[in-house]
Amino acid sequence: MTRILALALILLAFVSPAVRAQEALQDERILLTFVPNIQFSPFYLGIQDGHFAEHGFNVTLEHLQEPEVLDLVAAGHADFGIVSGEQVILARAQARDVVYVFEWFQKYPVGLVVQGHNGSGISEISELRDRKVGIPGRFGASYSGLTALLHSAGMTESDIELTEIGFHAPDVFCSKVVSAAVVYINNEPLQILNRSLAGECSDLGMPDVFPVAEQVDLVSNGLIVHSDMLERETEKVQNMVSALGQALKSAIENPARAYLVSLEYVEALPNEVEYVEALQQLSMEQEAFLDTQPSREDIAQSRLDMRGQLGQMFDFDMLEQFDVLLNSIDLWDAEVLGFSELGSWESMLATLELLEFLDGSEVDLTASFTNVFIMGSSE
Amino acid sequence: MLLLLLVWQLITAFGLVSAFLLPPPAQVLDAFVEAVSSGLLARHTLTTLEEMFFGLLLGVSIGLSLGYLIAKAPLLEFILSPIIVAFQSTPIVAYAPLLIIWLGSGVESKIVTTAVIVFFPMLVNTIAGIRAVPPQLQDLMHSLNARPWQSFRHLELPSALPVILAGLRTSATLAVIGAVVGEFVSSGSGLGHLVTLARNLYDTPLVFVSVFTMTFIALSLYGAVALLEWRLLAWRRRSSAS
Repeated sequence: MTRILALALILLAFVSPAVRAQEALQDERILLTFVPNIQFSPFYLGIQDGHFAEHGFNVTLEHLQEPEVLDLVAAGHADFGIVSGEQVILARAQARDVVYVFEWFQKYPVGLVVQGHNGSGISEISELRDRKVGIPGRFGASYSGLTALLHSAGMTESDIELTEIGFHAPDVFCSKVVSAAVVYINNEPLQILNRSLAGECSDLGMPDVFPVAEQVDLVSNGLIVHSDMLERETEKVQNMVSALGQALKSAIENPARAYLVSLEYVEALPNEVEYVEALQQLSMEQEAFLDTQPSREDIAQSRLDMRGQLGQMFDFDMLEQFDVLLNSIDLWDAEVLGFSELGSWESMLATLELLEFLDGSEVDLTASFTNVFIMGSSE
Repeated sequence: MLLLLLVWQLITAFGLVSAFLLPPPAQVLDAFVEAVSSGLLARHTLTTLEEMFFGLLLGVSIGLSLGYLIAKAPLLEFILSPIIVAFQSTPIVAYAPLLIIWLGSGVESKIVTTAVIVFFPMLVNTIAGIRAVPPQLQDLMHSLNARPWQSFRHLELPSALPVILAGLRTSATLAVIGAVVGEFVSSGSGLGHLVTLARNLYDTPLVFVSVFTMTFIALSLYGAVALLEWRLLAWRRRSSAS
C-alpha cells in the first residue's frame, strides 16, 4: 500500500505540471468556414506551436457554413469565428451584434479566371461583356467580388451572362462551359493549371487571373466576436487577437513548418517521405534564417527560394497545396497583421448597396470593426 | 397547429430566443406578404414545382417500368438489384454535386436529382405490388387465354394499384427533397436557392417563408396522391361495402 502511494506521488510529481498547465487553459472553439484545408494552417500552427496556449486557450476548430458561424457567434454560442467582411455588414443590418476584430486576409481572395494568353479574347474586364461567367452563387464573397470588379469597369451583372455553377469552377471552366469563372485566387487557378498540365482541361492552357484586389480594396476574412465581449471580456479578445497574430506571423515566416503542421489536420495533403523530409530540412533552415532578424521583403524572397528548391525536387502536382499556401500567404501578409482599413469597409458597403442586399438598413461601419486589439498586440 | 403557433408566439414575445434566431410569427407573415407581393416567392416556387413535376414524371415512369420488368423477370432482379441498392443506399447529397457537374446548374440536374430520389419507392412498391397478385387469379387469366396486355390491364394493374399508389405517396413527398437538395448544391432559382440566399442575407423570416412553402407543397402533393388513390380505388371500397 505504502509502495503504491509512493509510486502515485512520484507520478504526480512528474505529471502535475503538465496537468496544471492544461487546467489553466480555457477551452475555446474557433468557428471556421469551408473544410480543413492548408489555408487554415495559421490556426493549426497556433495550436501545435502553442501560440493559443501561451495566451491561455485550449483551442478546438470547427468548420461550418459562413452564416452559421456568424449566427452562433451572434447568439453567444461561440466566442470566436472567422467570416468574410461583407457577412459582418449584412449581419449587422439584420440585428446581429458582431464586431470584426482582426483582418486575416489583407487582400480580397476572389478573382476572375479566364483562358490564358488571351485565348479567351479577354484581356480586360470590359471584354467580359455578353460572355458567360460562372459563379458559385448569387451570394457571398464571390458575388460581392464580381460585382465590385464589374463596377470598376463601369459594368453591371446585366452586361454579362452570369450562371451559377456551385463551387465547381475548375470542372466547369475546364469543360469550357463558361468563358470566365469567379474563383478564390489562391486555390482554384492552381487546380486549373494542374489539370491543364495533366491534359485534363480541354486545350485551355495556363489561365489568366483578374484579382478583385487589384481593382478595389474590399474587406476580407477576419475574426469576429460578439460586441458584448469587447467590454465584458476585453482581455480574452485581446489574448485571442494576439495569439492569432503570432500564429499568422509564424505561418507567413515559415511556410514549410506551416505545411508540416497542417499534415495532422488536413487529410489528403501530399505527405510522401522524401517530401516531408525536404520540408523538415527547409523548415529548419528557415528557422535559422529567421534568427538573423530578416526584413519582411527578405522573408518574402526566402519563400520564393523555398519554392524554387522544392520545384527542383518535386513535380507541380505534389507541390499544388504548398503553392496554395504560398498564394494564401501573399494575401495575408501586411506590414501590420490584422489591421483593417475603413476604406475597405466603405468599398464593401458600397458594393452591397449596389447589390441592393441591405434593404435600406443603415449600417454603422465604425461599429462593425475595431483595430484596438491590433494596437494592443503590437504594444 | 394553433397550439404550436401560440407556443412560438409566447417564446418570441417573452424574448426567450433572439429574434434573429426565431423571428415572431408576425414577422414571418410580413416576410411572406412581401415575398408574395414582389413575386419573389412565386418565381422560386414555380422553379421548384417544375423540377419536381418533371423529376416525378421521369422517376415514376422509370420506377414503374423497371419495377414491372423486374417483377416479371427474377433474373433481371438478380442482375440489377446490387446496382440499384448501391445507388439508393448512397445519400443523394453525396452525388448531387456530381449531377450538377455533369448536367449543369440548370433545372436538368435538379430534375434528375428528383427522379433519382423518387425512383426507388416506386420501383420497390411496383415489384411488391405485381408480385402480390394472387397466383390463382393469374392461372385463371392463363386458362382464359388472356393476352399479356389483358392480364396487365384487368388483373395485375388493379391488384397492384394500392401498393403502387402507396409508393407514389412516398415519392411525391420525396420529390420536394430531391429538387431542394439539387438547388442547395447549385442553382439560380428555386426554394432551396431562396433558403440559401436568405441565409446569406441573414433574413431568417424569409428562410421560414421558404421552408413553410416547401412543407405546403409536400403536404399538397401528398393530399393530391391520397385523393387520386381515393378516386382510383373506389371500386375496392364499393366491393368491400357490398
